[in-house]
Amino acid sequence: MSFIPGQPVTAVVQRIEIRKLRQGEHLILGFSIGGGIDQDPGQNPFSEDKSDKGIYVTRVTPEGPAEVAGLMMGDKVMQVNGWDMTMVTHDQARKRLTKKNEDVVRLLVTRKSLEQAVRHSMM
Amino acid sequence: MPMDRYADMEDKLRILEDLNMMYIRQIALSLQDSDIQKKIDHEIRMRDGACKLLAACSQRDQALEAAKSLLTCNTRIMAYMSELQRMKEAQVMQRVAQRSSDAGPMDDRLPCKGKVAISDLRIPLMWKDTEYFKNKGELHRCAVFCLLQVGGEIHDTDMVMVDRTLTDICFDNTIVFSEASPGFELRVELYSCCSEEDYSAGSTSRKLASKLSSSLGRSAGKKLRVAMDPGACSPTSNGGGATLLLPVPTVAGPKYHLLAHTSLSLSHVQDSFRTHDLSISGNEECPYWVPLYGSMCCRLAAQPHCMTQQMMSGCLKVKQLGGDPQSWTNVYGVLKGTNLFCYHRQEDMEANVEPAFTIAINKETRIRASEKDPHIKAQSICISNQYGGEEVTHTLSADSREETQRWMEAFWQQFYDMSQWKQCCDDLMKIELPSPRKPALVTSKQGSLYHEMVIDTSDDISTVTDILTRRMQELELRSQLGTCPPWMSLFEDSPGGTRTPRLARHSPRSPHRLPHSPLSPLRCPWPGLLSSDASLTSDSDSPCSTSPCFRHHGWAEPLPLSSPSSHFRPRTLSLDAKLSTLRGRGYVGVLQCSCQPPSSSSLAPIPDQCVPQATLSCSSSTSSNGSSEGSHSPSSLDGTPFSRPSSARRSLRNLRAKLDPRNWLQSQV
Repeated sequence: MSFIPGQPVTAVVQRIEIRKLRQGEHLILGFSIGGGIDQDPGQNPFSEDKSDKGIYVTRVTPEGPAEVAGLMMGDKVMQVNGWDMTMVTHDQARKRLTKKNEDVVRLLVTRKSLEQAVRHSMM
Repeated sequence: MPMDRYADMEDKLRILEDLNMMYIRQIALSLQDSDIQKKIDHEIRMRDGACKLLAACSQRDQALEAAKSLLTCNTRIMAYMSELQRMKEAQVMQRVAQRSSDAGPMDDRLPCKGKVAISDLRIPLMWKDTEYFKNKGELHRCAVFCLLQVGGEIHDTDMVMVDRTLTDICFDNTIVFSEASPGFELRVELYSCCSEEDYSAGSTSRKLASKLSSSLGRSAGKKLRVAMDPGACSPTSNGGGATLLLPVPTVAGPKYHLLAHTSLSLSHVQDSFRTHDLSISGNEECPYWVPLYGSMCCRLAAQPHCMTQQMMSGCLKVKQLGGDPQSWTNVYGVLKGTNLFCYHRQEDMEANVEPAFTIAINKETRIRASEKDPHIKAQSICISNQYGGEEVTHTLSADSREETQRWMEAFWQQFYDMSQWKQCCDDLMKIELPSPRKPALVTSKQGSLYHEMVIDTSDDISTVTDILTRRMQELELRSQLGTCPPWMSLFEDSPGGTRTPRLARHSPRSPHRLPHSPLSPLRCPWPGLLSSDASLTSDSDSPCSTSPCFRHHGWAEPLPLSSPSSHFRPRTLSLDAKLSTLRGRGYVGVLQCSCQPPSSSSLAPIPDQCVPQATLSCSSSTSSNGSSEGSHSPSSLDGTPFSRPSSARRSLRNLRAKLDPRNWLQSQV
């Protein structure tokens, strides 16, 4: 999942649709994110390439909307509702996910197991 | 005299309008279709209302909204009129065809209709870097909105104000077209209007008078219509026939111009977001120009009726091939989507019980009518599917020949629909119905880089107080020697002064948290300062960094600062208030913060434990084990009076954490 700046990125992605859950006056998704272009990528425990400044899922609340939708810890979020997530700051990413007027977020995520699965199926 | 001519023209226009309405009514009557008639009437009423509103309103925003409604109404009227004409022409053609008996049996199989929904429209902008970053001069603003049209159905999005602080134009609306055929063409048009022009009545009437000075014949009428720019659907596009000109009423006010357009069709439908190209009309010279990047991102989904509705249902007898010839099962079959659901009884289906079994009907399925089975009276239908590597065949038989025929017809129709709707029939795409919009807080700036980087307003005061408190510390050390700047008195207890120990802040706090005199013993000089300094200075600057008395979990030892003090002069929500509270509770509060359950918004990482360490602050977790989860709740302090962090403190913490490059932030969403 490393990339060369300036070159298009190709990844095998999975579409995940998460319906937000209302808790009091908050709409929650049930996971935590880490990373961003303003963060230190070397501290990301999930990334393969330690220069990857993408947004990663660091934790998934059990039984939360994200887990139900199939999101897994370690996934890299590529796109949220059409907005790119590969080159955003941490705060921008958080804001894209927590828009108050959206009930559903459609993510495109990638993980290593997906690539492997595709490779196996092609063999 | 020009004003007379103007009034004269207005009369003529009104007469023309009446004539047109009569014409329309006649057509509608002859078609015996009063539906369109009603719709046209409704739109004309709306248009009149919009005109009146436009004439009456004084505020720019209202005028823009009214002009938008006007444009939408006009477009709708044009669309209805052209549909009317089309229907009339079709009727005429049909009569002609009926007279000539050449019309053979027409093998008209029409595909089913479906719902088409477009949502999350986003149009990126491409400002010149000089404009964007320098941000100088007046903010040139434009009002934009989108008009979406499928056949005769026209919807408009909300209006968005665009200026150079915006990076993308986002339309939050989800627009659903309920009856679209698979060959639909969704026309998306972006209209914009400069929001600074002066729309005084005088200038408009002059312009109009010059336009109307030539006679309103067919060609001039066409020109006038083009000048008014109603939109895509023009009656003349029907070819031949009369120009159904419904003159647009002359109104003073903002006028929208077509900025860009594109057409989407079935091939663009997908269950995910896609980017499409826009054709841009207009150029930089136009006043309504907005620099578009040239593409549009949206989610276009479709739900054909064959996927969502029951296409056929009835009683059937089903036998699986290879089974006992007598093993016919009586079921109630329902054909919906890519499946034939077989229920034991009809009541089961209505009660939403799981079907007994399901036969797939998709692109891979083969259906044929089989020869007469000696055991059954009527013809039967064989359905073959490939499950895994195996072919499984079910045989269906209905009660009568007609029933069997109807089922075959239904299957053929289903296959036809699936071939027409293509990728929409692979899986059911989700369409969210637009929820009733709450009177939403209008976010005037959306998707703007600047505004996402804006630091909380309360942080501004915090940063100021930080600087001040830091300076106070320096001064404090200096003040031991006797020098004391005049503003230090702010922080001194005014002796003898009674005060309501309450600060006009967000939440009421109990009194005994205000600091004692700032000139308290040196051994604990500025715990408040310590917190403020936390991440801005490195750890070991302040002398008390490792003072263990502040690392105490249990609050057993009363901090000298938290001794109750009741003589403070009344504070207002001001810098003073912030400063004093920060000082008094600053440190304590910050220590407290580590034990707060996280709010749902982005949180600064909270250290797992506040152990007596050399590391100083807890607001920015500088512990080497990196940041902790926002959702962890480290051991909380019972009975602590500081259970509610002020938003200033929280944002202070957030800011610290955000700015500290040693952290790897995690946010709970």
